[in-house]
Amino acid sequence: MTDSAGVEAWKEQTTAFDRIQSVASAVSQPQPASYIASEAHVAENTARDHLKRLVELNVLLKSDREGTTLYAPDPLHTRIQMLRDLLEEHDRDGLIQLKGSLQAQIEDWQDQYDVESPSELRDRAVETETAAQTRDIRKTASDWELVVYRLSIVEDAIENYNTYSEDFQVSA
Amino acid sequence: MAGSSDPYDSAAASHRALRSIKQELERHPIVTETRGFPSGEFAEVVADLAIERWGVNSTNPTLTVRWFAGESQDATPEFSFHYSDAERDLGWHYHEQEHVESRGHFQARTGTSAYSYEPYDFPSQNPAALVWDMMSNLSSRI
Repeated sequence: MTDSAGVEAWKEQTTAFDRIQSVASAVSQPQPASYIASEAHVAENTARDHLKRLVELNVLLKSDREGTTLYAPDPLHTRIQMLRDLLEEHDRDGLIQLKGSLQAQIEDWQDQYDVESPSELRDRAVETETAAQTRDIRKTASDWELVVYRLSIVEDAIENYNTYSEDFQVSA
Repeated sequence: MAGSSDPYDSAAASHRALRSIKQELERHPIVTETRGFPSGEFAEVVADLAIERWGVNSTNPTLTVRWFAGESQDATPEFSFHYSDAERDLGWHYHEQEHVESRGHFQARTGTSAYSYEPYDFPSQNPAALVWDMMSNLSSRI
């Protein structure tokens, strides 16, 4: 099958390793090398070599299901990347301000919808009268989940600011 | 490192997808800057585009990408790649939409008129792989 123009451009601008890392880092459930190779437009044997390397680098986790090796992003690796980004962008006061703005956003949603959590809000989607209202509620619930996740990492960065900022300065 | 029994976390999965999308957009020659949006929240990725490199001129050309990985590991993701500038407002979306039967659809409008919709079959549901196809679609549309 001929590659689309988009895939052709992707292959021109990136290496096979780049594409394998991007595809494998974004899967929402563990996937075999064949799936990752196909999505990344890389030969399966090449994909296996790169996947092995990414496991060694702690970027991916591997598991076994009925004799097939599956690959998924290492959640700890993603969390460390986010911590690093936050510490590069903010000092401790900035992180505390960011924590306040994320908390304020959550409190706004709690007041606006009279619910305590994104899952409670998602339950409200069954009571809406129009498809547009349902879509808006589902969108807000997914945004809310992302803010809760990000808040947990911002709090981690604040609590361990001295340790992390020294560690990241050393490794930079 | 082998094995993982971590429970599925839809927010973490969505965030990984958004990071991957941001990384791929940064590699695209038309993209001049990317950022998480709203600032601090990172619920979407916004990319500024240099569409003059495609021979098209406009003001404030931006691509906004949303991605929700789904409530469970097996759930279908919901996402959109939406472009806007001073004259255009169009995008490829994958979610329920009452105006079109297919979850995958293209929508566009001019000015403040209502959107028109048409079904669209996405070639992939992997965030990284889709970025380049969506950018290619965009170059054809504008």
